[in-house]
Amino acid sequence: MASCRRMLLKVIILGNSGYVNRKFSNQYKATIGADFLTKEVQYEDRLFTLQIWDTAGQERFQSLGVAFYRGADCCVLVYDVNVMKSFDNLNNWREEFLIQASPSDPENFPFVVLGNKVDVDGGNSRVVSEKKVKAWCASKGNIPYFETSAKEGFNVDAAFECITKNALKNEPEEEM
Amino acid sequence: MQEAELHDLSDDADYAASQQEGSASMMRCYSSKLSTSSETEGAEIVYLKDNVAIHPTQYASERISGRLKLIKQGSTLFMTWIPYKRQSTNAKLSEKDRNLYTIRAVPFADVRSIRRHTPALGWQYIIVVLSSGRNRKLYTVFSWLVVYQVEQMTFDVACSTSTYDVQNCFSGLAFPPLYFYNGGVREFLTTIKQHVFLVRSVEDTNVFLLNDFQNPLQRTLSSLELPRAVSIPSMPSTPVLARESTSHENQERTDVGISDVSASIPQYNGRRRQKFHDPARDISIQVLEKFSFVTKFARETTSQLFRESHSNGFRPLERRKSNQSDDYSHKPSDDAEGVAVQSPVAPDPVEVYVCSLCQLIALCNNASAHLSMESVLGHGPTGTWFSTSIPGNLMPTSILVEQKVPYREHNRDGEAATNVGTFELISYKEFDKLSLVWGKPRQPPLGLEEWATFLDSEGRVVDSKALRKRIFYGGIEHKLRKEVWAILLGYHTYESTYAERKHQRSIKKIEYETIKSQWQSISPAQAKRFTKFRERKGLIEKDVVRTDKSLSFYDGDDNPNVNLLRDILLTYSFYNFDLGYCQGMSDLLSPILFVMEDESESFWCFVALMECLGPNFNRDQSGLHSQLFALSKLVELLDNPLHNYFKQNDCLNYFFCFRWMLIQFKRELEYEKTMRLWEVLWTHYLSEHIHLYVSVAILKRYRGKIIGEQMDFDTLLRFINELSGRIDLDATLRDAEALCICAGEKGADCIPPGTPPSLPVDNGLLYSQQDEVL
Repeated sequence: MASCRRMLLKVIILGNSGYVNRKFSNQYKATIGADFLTKEVQYEDRLFTLQIWDTAGQERFQSLGVAFYRGADCCVLVYDVNVMKSFDNLNNWREEFLIQASPSDPENFPFVVLGNKVDVDGGNSRVVSEKKVKAWCASKGNIPYFETSAKEGFNVDAAFECITKNALKNEPEEEM
Repeated sequence: MQEAELHDLSDDADYAASQQEGSASMMRCYSSKLSTSSETEGAEIVYLKDNVAIHPTQYASERISGRLKLIKQGSTLFMTWIPYKRQSTNAKLSEKDRNLYTIRAVPFADVRSIRRHTPALGWQYIIVVLSSGRNRKLYTVFSWLVVYQVEQMTFDVACSTSTYDVQNCFSGLAFPPLYFYNGGVREFLTTIKQHVFLVRSVEDTNVFLLNDFQNPLQRTLSSLELPRAVSIPSMPSTPVLARESTSHENQERTDVGISDVSASIPQYNGRRRQKFHDPARDISIQVLEKFSFVTKFARETTSQLFRESHSNGFRPLERRKSNQSDDYSHKPSDDAEGVAVQSPVAPDPVEVYVCSLCQLIALCNNASAHLSMESVLGHGPTGTWFSTSIPGNLMPTSILVEQKVPYREHNRDGEAATNVGTFELISYKEFDKLSLVWGKPRQPPLGLEEWATFLDSEGRVVDSKALRKRIFYGGIEHKLRKEVWAILLGYHTYESTYAERKHQRSIKKIEYETIKSQWQSISPAQAKRFTKFRERKGLIEKDVVRTDKSLSFYDGDDNPNVNLLRDILLTYSFYNFDLGYCQGMSDLLSPILFVMEDESESFWCFVALMECLGPNFNRDQSGLHSQLFALSKLVELLDNPLHNYFKQNDCLNYFFCFRWMLIQFKRELEYEKTMRLWEVLWTHYLSEHIHLYVSVAILKRYRGKIIGEQMDFDTLLRFINELSGRIDLDATLRDAEALCICAGEKGADCIPPGTPPSLPVDNGLLYSQQDEVL
């Protein structure tokens, strides 16, 4: 019965992109430790609660991930299309996540990559090309990729629909 | 089932034996009466009743039977109740148990009231309530146990009455109910009436008052005109109390049966009108009567609570917000329902005690009656095992029953007691785990005038410990913080004079500017090839603009104070390049700059703070982990059921308290409260790690909700994060103080050496760890 399926999906957001969560969390403070907000999303006529986890961005807090990533259904890797280093770090974040969360099937654990801040300076300050990031995503098992602007809300809903879909993929028929 | 047991006497060998001994000793007594009546002191037994029993447990079969006597000596009437000497058929009752309850020669001058219970069905019994006075000291130990009992059985008293006479709860005392198995309550009262001044209470026809009209305390209480309190509910599982509710109905009835006693007291009618609106006294008597039900039952449930503190089916304390006690309203109202959760939440062993006391004290403060109590019992070679102290201003200071102190069989108080009758009490062996403290009420913050009294003429702090203690209990007025924080944080020493501090400020300002110039001199071209600097600066800039934006001091764009935050943090990252900048530091600096205002002063105070808290930001998180580890140990010590809950739910890493530790509750409290907490923490009074006890206090405060709602790690994290802004700091600090004292040495042992804010044990490289990015 579809209605018996779990409706709560835990999504971890990682990356060096600063304000990615601001749009959703309305928070103006750096996250200390970890926190999450919830977002209701509709997918295939069903309502889901996404539990969107924001963890302290600084690398030296990564060891906390062991506790905070536990039970995640999906990991969203965010980078800033205007900062090459944030793209370079995607690989580190992904690997760190897989180590800390240690999902049962790391090869197929659902990730989604978001290229953020595409609106900055009308796109003129962009340094990471779409081609480059898509190549990386393809090399990691065809990770879905979205370009978003959290500030403008551009493509955000589509991204979350995809996140939901992928998170569900992770637990195809889990019953409550 | 209990009812049947209560009334089943058929196979009670004890009863039968006592009948025999009763008649035998009756004869002895009569003969002794004959002999003593001729003696000079003129002691005379005017009343004697056998098979008067105390019920140490809720089971009548475990009663202790004895003989009740009224003895007239000169003009003084004494009451004694001596249990029968033979071994009981009931193995559960030791000889010692019997002796515990012995009442020896209590003069009626010390008796305040007697309540009779003469139900149509069931046994008659009386409760003798003692008045406050010279015997207080003797009975104090007992009254503590009574307090507990009241909490268990009739806790609604404390919660639902808007005012009630707690002073008397502490200062007065009631003996356990005396059950008249052979009847004779009426005769007993009639005999008393013949010898001492006794009137029937107008409020309750079953209460007889003695001696209290000349008592100034009574007049004071009467003059308070306290509003009528609600009646004391009874606990259904306790037949004795259930019966008592009948007497409360009597209380509401018109005073029909008053004639038999009051008629013989001519002046009574005149007084009656005057006394009619004097509920305070009556309430206090009622409460004391409740206290009288302390018996072995209480003792057993107590030790049960302490030993098998979970899954024993014992209902958790229903702590309801007593809305009149601002000082110690334990719960924000919005989660009151979480507290009264009926699910099998394991009771909190410490809380049971601390809360009951705090509740009573809150009421005590509220009642604002005038009475002081001070007693210290049992200073033995092993230390004070029980002490109470309530100075005249009614501010309770401390009450503690220390752990593991052996029961003193013979103490001075016991000897002192001989002239009024010994009332030995409950064995303290049973209370190994009992540690009882309540924190002092918070004081007003340290003000300018008082601050001056801590300084000598040249500005040195004369008694730093006294100062730290003062700040621990009250904090500092805001305008004084600038001066005192610098000393508390260790930027200035306590011994420094005004002149020395001034001198240091100027020296340090130059030093600060030197360090600051190190990064200021980095040109844009140089910065391009200095990734670490750029990234640090970028991260700092990103964080300072989102630090305390809600405060006008930091709000708006291009706020100069925000720029100061940035400059100080960047300078610090050069001053301590190994540690650098880490998220959370801007939170720690913000209040310091807000208080110190001056850039250099803020920097150096921040440096002093980071001396202690720097390890919080270690790359390996060792500073944080040692604190979280210590916290888990403290919870294990102070709330084992909660610890077990965390264990079962995979929460023992305590990461949900990460934010508390990292930035010292900065995100959990309002700005002013954060400053208050910090200055309290910085005193290092009682413990360097009082913040850990603060954490335990908060967790304990919400333990009912956490366990009741079966929170998993994620839910718990969210719950803890959402406590932000809802923590009652003063109450929490009192809890923390109490817990810290409770934990004592054992608590200190939970905290590994070098745990922040203690200075690291290893004085090698403090921040030798490599941080790849920053």
